[in-house]
Amino acid sequence: MTDSALPPAQARLLDYRMPSRVEEIARLADAVEAALSARPELAFPVNLCLEELITNTILHGLGGEPDHEVRVVMSLAAGWLDIFVLDDAMPFDPFAQAPPPHLDDDVDERPIGGLGVYMVRTLMDETRAHYTGTGNLIHLRKQLQALPPSS
Amino acid sequence: MSFTADISPLDTGRIAILSGRLDSATSGGFEKRLLELFETPGARVLLDFTALDYISSAGLRVILMGAKRAKQTQGRLVLCGLRPDVREVFEISGFLKIIDVVTDLAAGRERLAN
Repeated sequence: MTDSALPPAQARLLDYRMPSRVEEIARLADAVEAALSARPELAFPVNLCLEELITNTILHGLGGEPDHEVRVVMSLAAGWLDIFVLDDAMPFDPFAQAPPPHLDDDVDERPIGGLGVYMVRTLMDETRAHYTGTGNLIHLRKQLQALPPSS
Repeated sequence: MSFTADISPLDTGRIAILSGRLDSATSGGFEKRLLELFETPGARVLLDFTALDYISSAGLRVILMGAKRAKQTQGRLVLCGLRPDVREVFEISGFLKIIDVVTDLAAGRERLAN
């Protein structure tokens, strides 16, 4: 996996590697929160998207194997937050394969699954994934609102 | 930030005070405990979300399973105290339309009793 797809090192808010275990996601969340200390309102949606995608990667892309590494890189430039999630799994595009959720079903009819990727698409402005030859690269982009002026 | 659920009697039902993160690592354990609360038909359960920092789709899934089980057993499941970020997750996912969510503890107790 070449680093040329990623922002330069000095521009990164975060460059975090975690073992491929869902229990490690909480630790990633702490690192994300620290990295976004200047924009605290972004921590929750970013962490939610990362959990949804990384859980998918661990359970489906890696078949639950805990000894792989997932890497998360974040940068902020020109009013956009860029998030990259890299793995070394088999080709897996969460955005191509997810079924649409049933938002209008009532509690009896609503199926249990289908939500995670939908929420990522709702919270992020751009989402894409591709296989690099050695793993998957997910790229999320969120356009940032200008901070309100303090009055 | 791990997850805890403190369950105790409340009026004619039970209250579970949640705290921490309800996510893909912790939701499996909570699923078991939540569904157990509806083993007896007609059970009334209030989930207090005031101290819950975070929920993901894994957590929503467990809440939905609880709501389905409540309905199947003529029980009731009510949620209260959702923080703004958590409430937004419920809103985006459409869960506010299908899960009984009220504002605070007082409203939760009232809803559960009626």
